[in-house]
Parts: sequence; C-alpha cells; structure tokens
Amino acid sequence: MSDSPKTGPKNGPPTFGTQLLQWIYGVEFFDEIHGDFLELFEENLANKGRFQARWHYVKDALFSLRNLRIKRYPSLPYFNQFAMFENYFKITLRNIAKNKVYSVLNILGLALGIAACIFILQYVSYERSYDTFHAHYEDLYRIQYKVYRGNELNIDCAAAVPRVGPFMKEKMPEVREFARAFPTSGVISFEDQKFREERIHIVDPSFLKIFTFPLVSGDLETALTEPYTVVISESTARKYFGNQDPIGKMLQMDGEESMAVTAVAKDVPDNSHIKFDLLISYETLNNNTRNEDGESGSETSWGWYDFNSYVLLEPGTDTEDYDARFAEVLYDERGEAFEKYNFRDEFPLQAIGDIHLYSNLLQESEPEEQGDGQAVFFLTLIALFILLIAWINYINLSTARSIERAKEVGVRKTMGAFRKQLISQFLAESFVLNFFAILFALLIVVGGIRFFNQLTDSSLSLAFLSDPFFWLFFIGVFVIGSLIAGLYPAFVLSGFKPVSVLKGERSTGKFGNQLRRGLVIFQFAASVTLIAGTLIVYQQLRHMKTLDLGFDMTETLVVKGPQVFEVDSLFGPALKAFQTELRSVSEVDDMAYSSNVPGVEIFWTNGIRRSDAGQDQMKVTYIVGVDYAYFPSYNISFVAGRNYDPSFSTDEKAMILNEAAARFLGFESAEAALNKQVFFWGEDRTIIGIVDNYNQMSVKSEVAPIVFPLSLTGASYFTVKLKNGNFQEAFDQVEEKYASFFPGNPFDYFFLDDFYNRQYNNEQKFSRVFTLFAAFAIFVACLGLFGLSSFSALKRTKEIGIRKVLGADSRQIIFLLSREFLILVLLGNLFALPVAYLIMNNWLDSFSSRIQIQLPVFLIAGIAVLLIAILTVSYRTLKVAQSNPVLALRSE
Amino acid sequence: MKGTYLGEFEELILLTVAANEQDAYAVIVKKEAEAIAQRKINISAVHSSLYRLERKGFLSSTLGGSTPKRGGKQKRIFTVTNAGFEALKASKAIKERLWKKIPRLSIVDV
Repeated sequence: MSDSPKTGPKNGPPTFGTQLLQWIYGVEFFDEIHGDFLELFEENLANKGRFQARWHYVKDALFSLRNLRIKRYPSLPYFNQFAMFENYFKITLRNIAKNKVYSVLNILGLALGIAACIFILQYVSYERSYDTFHAHYEDLYRIQYKVYRGNELNIDCAAAVPRVGPFMKEKMPEVREFARAFPTSGVISFEDQKFREERIHIVDPSFLKIFTFPLVSGDLETALTEPYTVVISESTARKYFGNQDPIGKMLQMDGEESMAVTAVAKDVPDNSHIKFDLLISYETLNNNTRNEDGESGSETSWGWYDFNSYVLLEPGTDTEDYDARFAEVLYDERGEAFEKYNFRDEFPLQAIGDIHLYSNLLQESEPEEQGDGQAVFFLTLIALFILLIAWINYINLSTARSIERAKEVGVRKTMGAFRKQLISQFLAESFVLNFFAILFALLIVVGGIRFFNQLTDSSLSLAFLSDPFFWLFFIGVFVIGSLIAGLYPAFVLSGFKPVSVLKGERSTGKFGNQLRRGLVIFQFAASVTLIAGTLIVYQQLRHMKTLDLGFDMTETLVVKGPQVFEVDSLFGPALKAFQTELRSVSEVDDMAYSSNVPGVEIFWTNGIRRSDAGQDQMKVTYIVGVDYAYFPSYNISFVAGRNYDPSFSTDEKAMILNEAAARFLGFESAEAALNKQVFFWGEDRTIIGIVDNYNQMSVKSEVAPIVFPLSLTGASYFTVKLKNGNFQEAFDQVEEKYASFFPGNPFDYFFLDDFYNRQYNNEQKFSRVFTLFAAFAIFVACLGLFGLSSFSALKRTKEIGIRKVLGADSRQIIFLLSREFLILVLLGNLFALPVAYLIMNNWLDSFSSRIQIQLPVFLIAGIAVLLIAILTVSYRTLKVAQSNPVLALRSE
Repeated sequence: MKGTYLGEFEELILLTVAANEQDAYAVIVKKEAEAIAQRKINISAVHSSLYRLERKGFLSSTLGGSTPKRGGKQKRIFTVTNAGFEALKASKAIKERLWKKIPRLSIVDV
C-alpha cells in the first residue's frame, strides 16, 4: 500500500499525522479517511505550499481526536472482540479435540508440574511456618548456651542455665519478659487413670504470656503463680477427666506430689518447636531444689543447663549488638569464675523462627522433629525445576506442532489477519490450555493430598484452599505460565510467511530447533540430577543404617524404668531381684539396667578431670550410669581394660569411659588412660576400662565423650535382650513381671532398632519426597519427549517411506529416528554430572559418616534415563518404522 | 425518538449531501458546505457527522472509486436515505410553523 509517487518522504504528509490517524481510526476507518486527508493534502500542497499543507494535515489529524469513539453501526460493532475470542476459543477446543494425544500430554504435563509444585510449596511453607503463630514471634528469642574451654567449644546447647533468664531481665533494658521451661517426664495419675507423660514442662508464669498458647479456661494471671499448680492441654484434660470440669482437680505425679489444675490451654499446634501436654508451675521446682539457706538451685544455678530460656525483646532490637553488650555484662558478674576455672560461657540469642529449620543443638525440645533448612531449600528448587520442565514441555510441543498449524496461520494471514491478532490467538489458546491444566492440577492436589501425606509422613491439610495467598500464587502461576508458555509459540507461529507456508515449505526455523534441543537437554539434565540425587540420598541412608554402630540393637526390647516407687532405699535391691527374675525367663537372653540407652539423648552431665590435673582442667562429659550387664548385653567391645565385675568390690569406685572421653581428658591413647585416676563426683576413681566409640546417637553427629559410672541403685531404662524365637511369649512374661515388681507404673517399651532408626526419620522423609518428585520430573520430561518424537516421526513420514522403498529395514529407521533424541539425552547426562556431584557432595558433608559419591550412581541414573527415553521414543518410531511405505508415500 | 433529531451542523451536512449531484464523499461535502455556509469547516467534523448520520440511519454509504490523488484509497460515498429526507422535511416543517407564528409587526425585517 504505497502512497502516490508524488509524495516522497520529504514532500509527503507528516508521518506523525498518519500514525495518529491510524491510531484514532483503526483498521476499519483508516483507509477511507486517510484517502480524504491525502486528497486535501494534495490540494493544499498545490494551492498553499508544502508547509501549510503539512500543517493542516497534522491539525486535522489532531482535530480528529474527537472521533476516537466513532462507530458506524448502532449495536453490532465491526471490531468484534467477542466474535474473535469466541472463534479463538472454538479453534482451541477443536485443536484439543483434533490432537487428543498431544493435548492430553500437554495438559497432563502441565497439571502434574503445577500439582507437584503446589505440594512441595505447601510442604515447604508448612516447614517454614514453625512458631510463626506466636503473636510476638518476631521479638521472641531463645537463649543458647555455649561453653568454651580455652578456645574449644565444649557445649553448644539449646537449653540454658536457670539464672540467665532473670539476670538478662535485670541487666538488659530491652528485655520485656523472660520465661524458662524445664522439660521433664513422669507418670501422672488421677484416681485410677494413669499415663506416662513425656511432654511436661516446668515453666514460669510468664511462659503463657510471651508465647501464644491461648487458655480455654482458667485465669492467665494466676494460672502458674502458686507451687503445685498445673496447666493442662485440652486433650490431656479429656484424657483424665472426660467431660468433667478439670479446674481444681488434683493430679498426682510419680505417685508423690499432688498438683491442682488451674487452667486448660488449647492443644499446642503441630508447628511449634516446643510441645507440652502439662505445664507445671516453676515454684514447684523451686520448692524441690531449695537448700537450707532457702535458696533454690533452679533460680541461682549458673551451671545446670536444662532450662529452655526465652526472652521477649523490645521490637527492633539488634541482636548482634545485644549479644556483644550482654557478654560484657556477663563478664562483670561471672568473670572471676571464668578466669579461675579457665572457661567461658556465652548466651547468644536465637530467633524463635529459626529454631525449627536452622538449629541443631544439644537438647532441642523436639529433636526428632527438627527440620532441615537445606533440604527445604533444595525442595523449593526442585519445585521450580518441575514447573519449569512442565512449561518447557508446553513450549516444545507447541512449537513442534506449529508445522501443523502453519497452514492455518497462512490462511488467516491471507484473509487479512494481522500478526498481533495471531499472537493474541495463540496466547488465548495458551490461556485456555493452562486453565484446563490448573483445574486438573487442583483436582490432583485435592485428591492426592492423603496419598502425599502418607508417603511423606507429613500432615498437610487442605486448609490452604482458603488462604488468599495461595490463590494469588495459583493465579500467578496461571498467568505467568500462560504467558511464558504461550509467548514463544505465539511469536514463532505468527511470524510465518503466508506464501511459503501455503506453498508447503515447512520449516520452523533454525532457532526453533535449537531452542527445542536446548530445552530437551535441560529437561533431561534436571531429571538425571534428580535421579542421581535420589540414589545418593538412598545410599547414604542405607549406609547410616547398616553402619557398624559399635553396639548390637537387634532383638532388644527396652522398657522404661519405673518412676513410681514407694521406698527409695529399696529400689536398688528391687532392680537386682527383677534382673534375676527376668534372667530366669527362658526367652530372655540377658537383662541390663542403666540411666540411658543408645538413641536416647543424654541429659545427664557432670564435671570430670584427671586427678593429676589442676582444678582449672575440669571438663564436662556426659554420663550413662550402667550395671554389670550393660556392655555385654549391647555387645559393646572394650578397646582396653575390662568391664565392671561384681567380684571386685573396688569396682564401685572405678570408672569406664569411651574412647572419645579418654581423648577429651587428654590421654594419648586408650591404653595410656588405663589404670589412671580421674576425679569425679568428689572422689578419685581408677579407670578400669575404655569402650569403643559406639554411636550413642545417630551417625549424623560425632561421638560425644561419655563416662559410665557403675550405678546399681537407679535406672531409667531396662534393656531386655531376647532370644530368637517366641517374641510374644517373652514380651508377655516381661510385662507381667514388670507389673508385679513395680505396681503403679505403666509398661512403656520400645524395640531399640525401630527407636534408634527414628533418628533418620527426617532423612527418610526427605528421600521419599525426593524420590516422588524425581519421578514426577522424569514423567513430565518423558511426556515431552514422547510428543516431540512423535512429531518428528510424523514430519518424516515421507522420508521414511522413501528409505524403506530403497531397502532400509526397521532397525535402521528406528535408529535414525531415535538418534537425534538420544544424543540430546546423553548431552543432558553430561551436564547433569557435575551439577549433581557438587550439590550432593555438599549435602553429604553435613554427615559425620558419609559415603563417597561413586561413578556407578551416575551411570545408573544416566542409563535409567536413557532407557526410559528410548522406550518413550521407540513407541512412536516403531510404529512408523513398521508402517507400509506405500501409504506413507501416497499421503498428502 | 431520542437520537434522531438533527443538530444544526448535522442538518447542514445532511442537506449538503442531499443537494449534491456528484458522489458525495467527505472532501466534497466539506467544500460544498464551506461554500454555501460561508464558514470554515474542519474535515474531522465532517467525518464525525457523516458517520453519526449513517449510524442514525439518515445516510447510507458505499465504497466508491479511488484516484491517485488519494493514494489509491477508496472514497466512501454517502446518499441520503428516505429516513434522512423525512428528517429534513420534519425539521423544515417545524421551522416553517415557527416562522408563521412570528408577528408581522416585528421590527425584524422578514
């Protein structure tokens, strides 16, 4: 549409005016009106000169702004968006119906990707939601406890000493309130109801105020101010009192103290780092620890570190600055002791929101529940990866299909469609497909959430469906997905030249091919990375479980020791008698009693030093009190020396250490420590044996220094070693005997191997989630590959026909068709290798005992993906390769 | 009949189209009207009126021939419809009735 020859660029009407007219009048009116303008312009040019003509042209164009809303027909506008969109929608639906397989692949792939993404993000946001339900959670901090000997960090603990909380409040103006929580357990009884309660905390009255644990009944101000009062959770109240009003009822603890219920609190949410069923008033503890001078150790001690201490600070406090200033204040108070005994305490603050994911200290409140920030981060990455793969699939399939759509584009263009219109058509199509996909994804999420919870042992609910942020995210994914996935195909397809397309020249362009290849490589690199990662996580888990732990935990029944016992002085003899009785049971191999068993975190510590070392060399180690049978029962081997022996009466004042403790005390070797003296519990003891560093806690952590004094008068755990054979019989016998020896105590037991391996729950969960989503990613990638290979085969129908006529056999054809994709998959493998290695190596570094990543892992992952890819590709290629060439050649 | 009355300028344009012997398209209408009414008329106003009159059903249009002067673009040629004539007549009738009512003794020179 060129202007008349006379109007060159210099003499012609100003382009600005023309553009303005174009904008004002649109396609409908522009031509005829522009004609009028040109006519006037020519006339003016002839009569009034160039300048005047150009001026009038622009002026008239500007005046035309009044016609912006010009219309010709009253109700049916020519520029009919509705009809257009209706048409797009119709064409989209027809296309979906026409290519059922590809549409299903497209929608399914997208839906799976989005669903996976929602699952993961739900899981992640749950993990991140820990402790955020407290009204003041941004200003709440836990006081950590660190002890240094010289420069060596000796204790790094989540629970601090009882004095530090009040001390901080006295000295630091930012502290609005503090609260301490001392975890304990015991047998609680009401009339004939009796349960062992593990989630008991002894807390300050302020505990209920700084945290948001709302009360259902009772008075917040007075609930925990008096000694021997207790606040219980709703479900605990139901458990003991049924429908009766719990307020004022008396609960007994360990058959001794009676405590009055003063309030009932709502059950602690699952996403709290500290969980309780009963809260006992702090004064109760103070009463029990008061000495002759009237001072309570639970108020004054600077060394008893079992107290989870929290402070509520003024908003906006800089904690780094706070820690530094508190260190000075602390030194003023404690400096003398620090210098004298050559140690140093630190009490850094830890934001309460960081506890669940980023803390891994001794004496965490819920150690088995501690999350892993790194894992959560990885999962978020995986979620994004999966979404990306799904979108890439869409792009891939659409560009591949463009060959088929080319003619449609050609016809539309010839009929006068502008490129813009085509783009919006393809975008609209993308929106429709994406809409189906998110709808489907939502169905998958709603229908699959129980399965997901089971598989990953998590407790996601559908509550997020009422969360506006979720819908914001959801709509965001929809819009962004539609745009990202639709834009590229839209631009490529709309860019076709109608003439060449209608002539039958088929080309999606070099760039399209390259892009597709790149995307396939990326998809498979991601898949291989995920598979390799899954394998490595799995291997590490197996490694940890089968690692020689240094003790034997098979066929080991552990029963919790009695907490209710009438006369303390008779407990020792009763233990002895119970042991003798159990040993007489034919199914029982041996029985030992101790203060602790492997897999249970040790909370008992004390100072110890070599007798030849000075007072300032005092070090704190863990303590496990054992009887004669403990080491043999667990098959823990001695590196040097011997076990306690009842025939040596001096053994009661002897000592056994683990190797770590021997080194910790500065002995060069186990042998060197043998027969040396250590100062412990106020007396010198001779080391008679050093045991192997068995893994008291999981192999995730280093073996801590532990000392094992002989302790015959107390026990928290009974270890019953069973013989092969009738487990049930043995179990019944043990239970019956326990009941007759320790009446009033519930029979609480666990099998040690299950219990010990619970420490790997988190890793196990992680590996399951990882596996699930690796499978997701591969499945989605394969959907894409399937679609691509089918199209590639379709595109080459004629070529294959000719090859077959000329004598190629099926094998050659399959090879020919598969080669292109297999090369891409191989390349993907190549890229995945270093990435997976780096990521997983980093992950493994967090374990004290880790596997080395070996080449076979990558080979397995690579070959697995390759096989899956071959299977996927060959489904279509086989069909094509076996087809009758005549049909192929005759077609179109 | 809301929307079917004629504005002053509309009436001028409609009359110009009706009076025109040639193909009435925007440029011609503009020139004729300018000549008869002795005033400057902007082309955009002509466009606006023509299309509005067409929408009201007083004009109908077809696409006519093009000339090189117009950059090869077609003209939209307007003709007055029956409804258009009715409207013109009605407008004229109203004015005549009013004229008749003006007192003869008016100082205005009629």
